[in-house]
Amino acid sequence: EMEVTDPSWKEAEVELYTIPAQSSWFLWDDIHEIERREFEEFFSESSITRTPKVYKEYRDFIINKYREDTTRRLTFTSIRKFLVGDVNLLRKVFLFLEHWGLINFGSDASLVEVEEKHVAKIEQGNPAGIRVTAAPNSMRPITAPPLVEERAESGLKLPPLTSYSDVFSDLKKPSNDGLVCGHCRERFDSDFYEHHKRVVNICQKCFKNGDYGENNSADDFKLIGNGAAAVWTEEEILLLLESVLKHGDDWELVAQSVSTKSRLDCISKLIELPFGEFLMGSASGRLISSVPTEDENSGHHSSPSHPDGQEHRETEMGEEKEDLVDEDEPLAKRKRVALISDGDTSLMKQVAAMACRVGPSVTTAAAKAAIAALCEEASCPKEFFETDDYTHSAPDRFDSPSPQFADGFASHVAVKTILKLSLFHRADGDKDTDMEEQQQGGKEGPQDLPVALRIRASVATGLGAAAAQAKILADEEEREMEHLAASVIDQQLKKLQSKLKFLDHLELIMDEEERVMDGVKESILQERISVLQYAFRGGITKRWDHTYVK
Amino acid sequence: MKASGSTGWKGPVKFRMPTAENLVPIRLDIQFEGQRYKDAFTWNPSDPDSEVAVFAKRTVKDLKLPPAFVTQIAQSIQSQLSDFRSYEGQDMYTGEKIIPIKLDLRVNQTLIKDQFLWDLNNFESDPEEFARTLCKDLGVEDPEVGPAVAFAIREQLYEVKTLIAIQNVASARESRLTKKGRRGSDHGSASKASGLSMDLVKLFSFKSSVVRKRKDLDVYEPVVDLLTNEEVDALEAREERHAR
Repeated sequence: EMEVTDPSWKEAEVELYTIPAQSSWFLWDDIHEIERREFEEFFSESSITRTPKVYKEYRDFIINKYREDTTRRLTFTSIRKFLVGDVNLLRKVFLFLEHWGLINFGSDASLVEVEEKHVAKIEQGNPAGIRVTAAPNSMRPITAPPLVEERAESGLKLPPLTSYSDVFSDLKKPSNDGLVCGHCRERFDSDFYEHHKRVVNICQKCFKNGDYGENNSADDFKLIGNGAAAVWTEEEILLLLESVLKHGDDWELVAQSVSTKSRLDCISKLIELPFGEFLMGSASGRLISSVPTEDENSGHHSSPSHPDGQEHRETEMGEEKEDLVDEDEPLAKRKRVALISDGDTSLMKQVAAMACRVGPSVTTAAAKAAIAALCEEASCPKEFFETDDYTHSAPDRFDSPSPQFADGFASHVAVKTILKLSLFHRADGDKDTDMEEQQQGGKEGPQDLPVALRIRASVATGLGAAAAQAKILADEEEREMEHLAASVIDQQLKKLQSKLKFLDHLELIMDEEERVMDGVKESILQERISVLQYAFRGGITKRWDHTYVK
Repeated sequence: MKASGSTGWKGPVKFRMPTAENLVPIRLDIQFEGQRYKDAFTWNPSDPDSEVAVFAKRTVKDLKLPPAFVTQIAQSIQSQLSDFRSYEGQDMYTGEKIIPIKLDLRVNQTLIKDQFLWDLNNFESDPEEFARTLCKDLGVEDPEVGPAVAFAIREQLYEVKTLIAIQNVASARESRLTKKGRRGSDHGSASKASGLSMDLVKLFSFKSSVVRKRKDLDVYEPVVDLLTNEEVDALEAREERHAR
């Protein structure tokens, strides 16, 4: 709840302070019943020092003092010096205000405010620096207290930042470029052993000999095939991206996840990738609010409907990665990577999750594109979809379904699809024969349909359903927004009207005053005239001549 | 009985410490055979007197003092308690009485200087709570400081109270002699009756404010100082010299 402390017309001077809802009884100009009950001693008129006026002064002073700086927690000791009176009574008032949240609202009472410590005044001789002594557990004082540095502990512990030189300094060293053994300084013939922590590699010979170098043991080294460092398969790239997103800057963990590649390799590969640095820089954030263009997205989102093993996905990703130049691309990439790494959920769930995170227009387009893509790939699905009246008009219908209809419709479609599919058997058949057979009609005997198609079809329907839902939500949101906008405009108009009224009123008053002034002016003039007349009659003209003539 | 502090004349109450807990300040300073034992603590007068001996024995055992200290300690405590009890028979005036309390003490390496007003007859007052707040707000780490502050406050309260009690006895005697029918308390002028000095009366009047003037703020502000070891030693040496 907010309390306006300066309830004036001017917008500029309004200050707002937060107090709890149950303290809304508080008023600056008055003393509430709650206060009267609590502090009977002030209201019983039994003493000079305890009057309502005094209570109000205490109270107002304390609250104002707090509000001078609401970020710091006001302590009793800091204000008691300002107020005259029994400190116990003052403390009672202070505690009362704190209890009701009129001061120190939201300040954590358990926080130790190191800044609040009073700096010592110089007493005698050499000034003594403030030293914090460790609190002794026993009752006896410590004779030589150790100097303890105290820092207010921040709640957030940030991971240690790696500097560029930390990570890449080894890259600069020539010895590693040429793959030279860290110990015997000879070039590697074939496989070498890499130290899992430091950038020290030793050749096979040295490893066998046991010459690990200082402080290293056999376990520290990992055998790495010579050629392995250069080639990155799609799986590895995918793993790399996933682990970078998960672990951020922690290259140890990243290297562990991508087990076949060393830490350096990971980092260098990441830099090589067009968007790698972008990823590194913001590896902690996953989802972006901006929605990439529809075309791109539809192209990307159609690929999840290829579930034929990881490689397939990654090949696509690999291909698309090489192509991209765009800035929007990496965003879509990251989104997808993040989702895929959620990994073990079913495809439908993934699709649903995707639909939730992405805008409704996007999912609509995605659904359309999915179905289009499916239809493009082989004509059989097209026919398959076409045989069913509902599904054919699905993309169009998505633009304006009614809520119940959409749900029922989607489930209806799904059921139908599954029924149809179940009539066909699994696996890869000859596409031509399939087409022919399917053209004869969907309900005929066991027909072969590739598993992929089946799944694709169901996914497409799922997407469709999601799209429908999304569209509905979008419409609702829009309506809501319009409504709110209208009400805001309404309010503004009302404000304007009342202001105009006020100004009109003012004008009226001003006119009235003007009239009055005119009247006064006239009467004064009349007086003057009469005075002059009188003067003339009396014969006093000399002085007046000048002004009169003029 | 409503616990609302002192709200004017409530009628006479038996002499006691005007704090939430009736604890008597006891100070010990015993020198014997070259050893010196100094201590200050609060005692609950409703404890049976047998406790005194128990306390003395335990103290000597804990601090490994020579056994002769036991009787000395017990005697000292006992006499202070009897002092307190001698006032207990009297009636106390329970109207408001605001006195200044001054703190100027050193506990190990912490020096505290402070001054504030205390209503001598506010029976809700709590020196221990006040001391705790003081230490917490000022970030005093040494756990011995709080109790020392509380003790200092108690001591001063006790002192003033006994002074008043003595005064009352004297004036009571006087009034009986003069047969003016004045009761054992002083009514006198308004300031006396309300237990305030004239300045305070002015402060609480309708026209002025209870917010302290700037020039007085320094006096009423608590000052905490942390000394180095050398300074502590120097001070202690000085104190010893003064004591002799």
